[in-house]
Amino acid sequence: MQFLAPRTLDEALGMLSGRGGDLRVLAGGTDVMIQRMTGQLPRSESLLYIGGITDLAGVSRSDGTIRIGALTTHRDLCCDPVITTHLPSFAEAAATVGGWQTQAVGTIGGNLCNASPAADLAPPVLAAGAVMVVSGVDGPTRIPAERFFVDRRLTSLPEGQILLGIEVPEPPANTWESYLKVGRRGAMEVAQVGLAARFSVVDNRVETARLAVCSVAPAPLRLHRGEEALAGSTLDSGTVSAAARRATEEISPIDDQRASASYRRMMVGRLIMKAARLARRSLGMG
Amino acid sequence: MTAVGLGTPRSDADAKVRGLARYGVDYREAGMLHARLLRSPVAAGRITRLDVTKARSYPGVHAVVTADESPKHRNGLILFDTPFFAADTVLYEGEPIAMVVADTPNQARRAVEAIALEIEDWEPVSDVTEALAPGARLLHPDLDSYEILPGAATWPKHGNCGGVLTSDPGGVDEAFQTADVIVEDTLEVPRQYQAYLEPKSATASYDGWRWTIHVSHQFPFQVRSRVAQAMGVTDSRIRVVGHHMGGGFGARLDLGLEQFAAIGASVTGRTVQLVNDRDEDLISTMSRENATIRVRSGVTTDGRIVAREFECLMDGGAYAGDTVYLTSIPMFMVASVYRVGPTRVTAKSVYTNTAPSGAFRGVSGTYICFALERHTDRLAQAIGMDRREFRMRNLFESGDAMLNGQTLDDAYILREAFERVEEVAPWQGVGKGPLKGVGLAAVIWLTNPLAGSATLSIQQDGSLGVSTAATENGSGAVTMGVRQIAAAQFGLDAEQVFVTAPDTDTQGYDAGSQGSRTTHVVGMAVEAAAEQLKPRIFNIASGLLGALPDDLELSGGSVCVRDDPSRSVPLATVARTAFGLGGPLSATGTYNVPLPKWDPDSAEGLLFPVFPVPTYHVHLAEVEVDPDDGSVRVNRYVVAQEVGRMINPDGVYGQIQGGVAQGMGYALWEGLETRDGLYTRRTLESYGLPLAVDVPDVEIIILEHPCEAGPFGAKGAAEPPIVPVAAVIANAVSDATGANITTLPIDPEEVLEALDERREA
Repeated sequence: MQFLAPRTLDEALGMLSGRGGDLRVLAGGTDVMIQRMTGQLPRSESLLYIGGITDLAGVSRSDGTIRIGALTTHRDLCCDPVITTHLPSFAEAAATVGGWQTQAVGTIGGNLCNASPAADLAPPVLAAGAVMVVSGVDGPTRIPAERFFVDRRLTSLPEGQILLGIEVPEPPANTWESYLKVGRRGAMEVAQVGLAARFSVVDNRVETARLAVCSVAPAPLRLHRGEEALAGSTLDSGTVSAAARRATEEISPIDDQRASASYRRMMVGRLIMKAARLARRSLGMG
Repeated sequence: MTAVGLGTPRSDADAKVRGLARYGVDYREAGMLHARLLRSPVAAGRITRLDVTKARSYPGVHAVVTADESPKHRNGLILFDTPFFAADTVLYEGEPIAMVVADTPNQARRAVEAIALEIEDWEPVSDVTEALAPGARLLHPDLDSYEILPGAATWPKHGNCGGVLTSDPGGVDEAFQTADVIVEDTLEVPRQYQAYLEPKSATASYDGWRWTIHVSHQFPFQVRSRVAQAMGVTDSRIRVVGHHMGGGFGARLDLGLEQFAAIGASVTGRTVQLVNDRDEDLISTMSRENATIRVRSGVTTDGRIVAREFECLMDGGAYAGDTVYLTSIPMFMVASVYRVGPTRVTAKSVYTNTAPSGAFRGVSGTYICFALERHTDRLAQAIGMDRREFRMRNLFESGDAMLNGQTLDDAYILREAFERVEEVAPWQGVGKGPLKGVGLAAVIWLTNPLAGSATLSIQQDGSLGVSTAATENGSGAVTMGVRQIAAAQFGLDAEQVFVTAPDTDTQGYDAGSQGSRTTHVVGMAVEAAAEQLKPRIFNIASGLLGALPDDLELSGGSVCVRDDPSRSVPLATVARTAFGLGGPLSATGTYNVPLPKWDPDSAEGLLFPVFPVPTYHVHLAEVEVDPDDGSVRVNRYVVAQEVGRMINPDGVYGQIQGGVAQGMGYALWEGLETRDGLYTRRTLESYGLPLAVDVPDVEIIILEHPCEAGPFGAKGAAEPPIVPVAAVIANAVSDATGANITTLPIDPEEVLEALDERREA
């Protein structure tokens, strides 16, 4: 195996070009290294370590868009004032990834590209309507987040390309968002269920509702039927219960060592109701 | 000034915090080889092909050892049912089949992967019910012909039962007829992994006649006799040297990897080290057994328990290990703490195609207490009586006897413990609120007896060396308890006492760190040695000071005249003077706990007959459940524990806090469940150990009733804090939600369903 450590993006893309299949991109290593150790990834696979490409880290905000570099660590997301002010669900999600050691080296790009069904950053990214900026030698292209997550550990990132970062439209005023995660213990858990909810409110009515979940299907997903049921509502309990029921139809959870399918199904509905309750309180909807 | 009762820092703290302490896995020798086991990938089957030719030719490989190159006889703790390597059949996932010895760990790993292994899979006998069903495949068709430990009493065993305990004193059925209400409960618990920080390891060398094995093990003398037994040699051909231990919790009491390292050493003539990686450690370690418990009691409407029946099926796994002994534990719990009338007990150790289970802090007691105290709550509710009031009405009094006939002369301490808890957390004042609940449980636990010894030597600089095979498993029993007891005997500070690491060649026998015995038993051995040394010290000092020996005392590192402290001689001077007067100041003390009387006819199969030096415990918890996700938060946890006398408060408090944390893990998150004989949670990531964020500061009430036959009155303290925790939390969750909790870990889904039902009602 080879270990390649380019210093620039161009160098990295050049190395990756033409040999995508046997060269794996490595950032924080909190997934890749464990998957190599446990045989989920072949040990013979070569590694392209992009951690030295410092331009890929960091958060910026301009022209109504928030840009998050792929190498931004979970710890950075937790503390960045742009994130905590405008995209608090990202900070909340990042704060629940593994322990502090994992948060200090694990990156948002790695979390999204690993595409675990339980990826904590995926629901906030989906709910925010983010766009994934990816690039090969021919220059960057953009993929809507919803088209990025295809299946368990499978994304639509083309071979030979690297995720540079994500772009998130700044949320409108009067928006509430949060990431609610259920794990067995109070920390260091892989999600049994994770829900990102975002409600933008005009005149005490929900103008747009966004719901996205992880750990309840092969890939993280948006819950469109649940969202539609909430749009235009005052988040009254009747509407929210109905939305929770409809959202639950959209998932396909399994039994595994972390939770039963029935508990996961139960949780999606209850988390939506909890989100609505918190949003009503926070937005002063009575 | 005495070293006893002080929060003296442990002697190993600094080295451990700085990373300077060398554990078993850190031990190295020049030219050392590395071994790795080929373990069975399936739960049950017949080996149809095992070809190691290719592996033997791999780079760096020195030897591949299989059943063909190993002793053919079976070995075991009491029942010799375990082969050295699996030869014909494999009986659990993880069972060792072969071992590669190579220059490096990676070479050993590669060569293991090159072994051609084919197994004809069998449908595994995956649980106790299946194992006991008529027509079940027998894991040990030759059970009747297996040898047992020489000198051990025989016990009933048959079919897939490695051991059966029965106690039926008569009158049980008649007593049930006097009951107004009869309640029956069936409860089920999974396995619990000890999850020590340091995975198991062993490093062995061989000089053509004797083996030296370096370990981090709770019981070096057990390693010696078990390796000797497995290799078919006499004990004294094995030397076992102990190192710092990264936790044990009972998992390091029987053989781990030592016999494999030993055979690797004798086959290659080189030093061989074998270390488990974490995943193989988790699947192969003797975890706390899973069990199914059925308990049925009769109660009168005025709140008396009048009859009881108790049945427990313990899953011993593929080889019986110590579950044969553990079937005795119900005898000390089922009709203790509360008076319950005539009682019938059956307990079975059952073979299944799972990893052998074994000792874990509070052996079997954790789930027996869970079953009994859940049942106690249910009995009280069945007659509409307050749960605490019901307990107080049936509480044991001094002079009451356990089912083995052992009388408890100090059982009054139980009532005191309940009252002390009440002062801190009044029963009517805690657990109030829609999502809150309170639970209560009590237990009587033993101080494990078994012999121990210690040799004391006053050093030329006046300090004191304690040489003992007792092991520091992390509890502080040696680095605080034994050290402080020794210091106090000679008027020294604990800092002036050092304790050597265990070495079976140079030290007397000690039965290891188990069942809270080290401080109590080894402390007594230290006192016995001190009793021999002190007269010699006073005799020599008497000459140096010109005073009568009877007028002397030890204080501040000197021998002083009691009424005239200005006349004193340093202990160092006494020690040096002793060289010319009868030789160095050194003495060995031994101790064995006198066993209380019991009734040998109280049960059949009673291999573990008594609960010596009992201690008394009452725990209370207030919990709050989350109505959104069903998780349980422990708001308050109160422990009243009787310890005889506290040698080191930091040590005792630490053991209680840790025991409660470990019990919370058992109650709420942990558990090794099997599907078709394979564990479903296979890594620490999914296993669910308790985290600091989830564990409250335990409110601790220490009761001191010094024990006459105990060092400064100390009894065992470290093991029992784990025992009632699952019971207390389950009772509190039931109180909060109405759920009848009968399984562990407590399932949030069950909590939510109970809350929904309660809301609808």
